[in-house]
Amino acid sequence: MLQPHSFLWHYLWLAPHVLQVVLAVFLWRRGLHRLFPVFFAYTLFEAVEEFTLYGMDVHPSVSGESWWFAFCVGLVLEGAFKLGVIGELFLHLLGPRTALAKVGSRLISGAGAFLMLLAVLSAAYVRMDHPKYIWSYRAHILLQSFYMIECGLVLFLFLFVAYFKLGWNNRTFGIALGLGILSCEHLGAWAVTASGILVDKQYLLDFLNMATYHLCVLIWFYYLLLPQKSVTTSAVPLPEHNLALWNQELERLLHQ
Amino acid sequence: MNLAIVLVIAAVLALATILSVAVSRSLQAKANAILAPTVCPIDVEAFRNLINPAEDDYLRCRLPPGQFRVVRRERLRAMAAYVHVAASNAAVLVRVGEAALAAGDPRIAEAAHELVNDALLLRRNATVALARIYLALAWPNSGFAAVRVVDRYERLSGTAMLLGRLQNPAASVRLSAPR
Repeated sequence: MLQPHSFLWHYLWLAPHVLQVVLAVFLWRRGLHRLFPVFFAYTLFEAVEEFTLYGMDVHPSVSGESWWFAFCVGLVLEGAFKLGVIGELFLHLLGPRTALAKVGSRLISGAGAFLMLLAVLSAAYVRMDHPKYIWSYRAHILLQSFYMIECGLVLFLFLFVAYFKLGWNNRTFGIALGLGILSCEHLGAWAVTASGILVDKQYLLDFLNMATYHLCVLIWFYYLLLPQKSVTTSAVPLPEHNLALWNQELERLLHQ
Repeated sequence: MNLAIVLVIAAVLALATILSVAVSRSLQAKANAILAPTVCPIDVEAFRNLINPAEDDYLRCRLPPGQFRVVRRERLRAMAAYVHVAASNAAVLVRVGEAALAAGDPRIAEAAHELVNDALLLRRNATVALARIYLALAWPNSGFAAVRVVDRYERLSGTAMLLGRLQNPAASVRLSAPR
């Protein structure tokens, strides 16, 4: 069952992207593509990319080198889309909170620059397997580098929100959670692949990657299509006691 | 090989952090629905006294250098405790303000928006102030000012009070300790 080109393998490769097309249709019909335009574009792009790669994989006339070249091109575009999605999430979080907009932008820019430097250094450190597999080698290095940056930025996003106790709505949270799980798992898997530790059992990591992607698409489905809970202000009463005394004290302080 | 191990460990830690933040978010949402938020009152005047540079100068002139450093460190620790409480209160008010943001009344929403922004600024300033306090603990003779935190805290108190009045004119709100 856990073999390349088994039924499960085909299912895990195609099913998440079929679901992504369905998700894109729902996003469009509910007008959410205007709220998350980059995520919407990413969802469509990812589906088209994977259908193309799948078609190339099963077509006998496509050489391995051509497939890996197409994979690398798709990877670069996909990486740009994912960075765009992280930027979009950050904008959603900081948009109404003007007090943090400037410092937040600076911090995420700094974190991005640091992660990029780290990714370049790690890429330089990875050894090359064999000149014959130059394209797969390049793809693995690219994947490792992209997921280092992506994973770091999503982690930064979660820590930033947790530190400042920001509230995020279900949709933003769902996209971030899916992206977070995806990037962490993929970082680990591609780091192992790039190191050449599991050369003979590479397909097991492929299964893991595909299953994780499937899970993340289901998370996006759940959070994006779940009806938003309405917040009631009366449910959260303000801290109270001695307003008059406090007011008196405050005014005294302000007029000092 | 070594790099792969480091990256796998980093990925596992990152995933654990993300999942724990996600779990705490849902727990917090449940707790918010049940419990009323509580803020710890702060004696702003005592804090202002602690950070007064004139007091430090006076102590520096009066005490031998060794004893001054000991006293200064004690004052810095007390300062850090105050700033911690101010930052915690700001976090509570962020949650309160964000819950009130969805209010239908535009006056409440506006006051809530202002409260959230002020609380976030205070939290940011408190972070910077804490970093400076801990730095000053290593070098007690260096100059230090946390005046911005105090000013921000006072402004935050005013905004919280306004939101409290708008939401519930009969209820009361207190961030500073009564004298």
